[in-house]
Amino acid sequence: MFKPMSAGFRSASPVLLFLLIGFAAPLLAVIWFSFMPPRSFSFGGAPTFENYRTIFESTTYISFLWSLGLAVTTVVLLALICYPVAYGMVRVFGKWAMLVTLLFTIPLFVSENIRLYGWVLFLIKNGVLLGTLKSWFGFELESMLFSVPAIILGMVYVYLPFMLFPMTLGISMVPNETRDAAFDLGASRWQVFKEVELPLSMPGIVIGFLLTFVLAIGAIAEAKVLGGQAVIPITQDIEIAFTYSQNWPLGAAIAVLLMLIVGVLVVLALRRFDLDSFLGRR
Amino acid sequence: MANSTKISRRNFMQQSALWAAAFAGVGTLAPGRAMAAREKELNILCWEGYNSAQVLDPFRTEKGATVKAESLTNDPTMINRLRAGETNVWDLINVNNPWAREVMFPEKLITPLDRARFEPFFDKMMPAFKPPYKWAMDDSGTQLIGMAQRFGPYSFVVNMDKVSRQTAEDQGWNLWNDPAVAGKYGILESDDWNVFNICLIAGFDPFKVHSDEEVAKFKETAERVFKGAKVVGDIATMNQALISGEIDFHMTGGTYSASPARADGNPNIRGITPKSGPMNGKGGVSWIEITSTVNNPQLSPLAADFLEFVQSPKMSHTVAFAEGTFNPVAQMGNPECFNLFTKEELDAIQWDSLEEEMARCVEYDIVPDYAKLLDIMTAAKRAASGG
Repeated sequence: MFKPMSAGFRSASPVLLFLLIGFAAPLLAVIWFSFMPPRSFSFGGAPTFENYRTIFESTTYISFLWSLGLAVTTVVLLALICYPVAYGMVRVFGKWAMLVTLLFTIPLFVSENIRLYGWVLFLIKNGVLLGTLKSWFGFELESMLFSVPAIILGMVYVYLPFMLFPMTLGISMVPNETRDAAFDLGASRWQVFKEVELPLSMPGIVIGFLLTFVLAIGAIAEAKVLGGQAVIPITQDIEIAFTYSQNWPLGAAIAVLLMLIVGVLVVLALRRFDLDSFLGRR
Repeated sequence: MANSTKISRRNFMQQSALWAAAFAGVGTLAPGRAMAAREKELNILCWEGYNSAQVLDPFRTEKGATVKAESLTNDPTMINRLRAGETNVWDLINVNNPWAREVMFPEKLITPLDRARFEPFFDKMMPAFKPPYKWAMDDSGTQLIGMAQRFGPYSFVVNMDKVSRQTAEDQGWNLWNDPAVAGKYGILESDDWNVFNICLIAGFDPFKVHSDEEVAKFKETAERVFKGAKVVGDIATMNQALISGEIDFHMTGGTYSASPARADGNPNIRGITPKSGPMNGKGGVSWIEITSTVNNPQLSPLAADFLEFVQSPKMSHTVAFAEGTFNPVAQMGNPECFNLFTKEELDAIQWDSLEEEMARCVEYDIVPDYAKLLDIMTAAKRAASGG
């Protein structure tokens, strides 16, 4: 803990100042704006709860539920997909692990929107997938585009690296000696996984969960591009409030509620899984 | 030598403070110098097209200027940027017709232009734009507050292989009242225009204050129309969905949105203006962009120069066919400009029917109870998403 005006505090003050201006101030501005009268554009109005009342009296909860539901589904699917891949990258693939890493990393250099439009061309009626099936095999199927499964596909695809790499790190933290010792002591394959590997790789898993959850709950492009707005996520409500509605205070209030919900969920998760103890600091 | 460059921590701080004060002093006490710094700088807030290299690069070269342009795809967002204090950032703002006259000029967000310098350009435009052109003038009719260029009818777009032009024009907005079309159409994510269209589908004029019964009808129509939509998305998505056969038609749309698909070899995609509708018998809505000088305390002198620059026949043609969307321009009234358009380009912007379509349109205006209707429509979209 810094003592005021101690050498440490003074040394840290430029960083503190930077954080105050670059991080805390915009956040406080958003919070303050959420209490301004609806459809106003200045910070000078009389504070009011009107925007929050509007949110609670409207159907905005549907968008919150969609965002939460899509984020949770994405995290669960990513956990199921990424754990075996991460395990393979650490223990099985050997020298091919680098190639697999590159395959997952290279798409990150292409803009998310372009990748999603690539999926549109792949999935659209008479597109790469359905067009090929039709011309080669005579199958004429309905496209899955502009539906909830298409949105989930997009989210899983976009956020996969953010789950995979922390998980890989987590699994690589499990010492081989510990696994060998467990086997030597007569543990079955399942017991080694359940009692040794899973708990010891938990820091990476939890970080992957948190990272993908926070990113996924703020997702908007997948619902717009692949979902054709079949679902309106909460981020789109914020966007509409700030653009077409000309109602910045309402947008700010929805953003504050979203931050609160995400904050509470993250704090609860961190209380359940203490990262410090995982990382051996206590 | 060593002595002359020796700086202690204390005198470094003192010197820094002096320099900082000196710079601050220059900034506050000598606005003329700051103004001078903007003589080679121009910032434009616009719809896409004016921000393209084809339009900006020739101006940059001619003036040796640094020109920055930001493109947004709806008017309210751009105007909010000025309202939020960005009048000291931007020099030009390019939005649809009613905003300059009805909102930005009364709110002192834009400034008048020199009538003697700019009005002669209107003389060379198409007949509908002859001076004094309503949307380029303030309410009193004395101040010129912007320049006109791109325009077009904007109602809906069909794939003529699925819905004939004749059927679409005859049925007009009633097309959306047929239960059989559910799942066959898309909606462009252009929410301000969608408010107009929902009113038109519901059978009343959007550009007036609405009665409780009309608002109730609007709600019912919005819920039904959004529930039946196959996709809501941007122009690229709409065109892709039309061409691939995912949808048969979409609103909002017109020359502006259909022209890229038509130019790309899909003449079966066509903007439609209904033959009749609830706006004194008219069923279509048109837009006209007005570009104005922002009420910037340090307005760049290049702002007016740029407005003049894009009036030339060659640049007007470039603006019409800049990247993104392709549109008719008012300057096509000048044969020197019109002759620059190829047959393919005229076909892409539906020149063959432009005049009759514009005659069937009322001009885009501000909906007095827009905020209420938009909230209802947003709730309808949310409800359609499974609420």
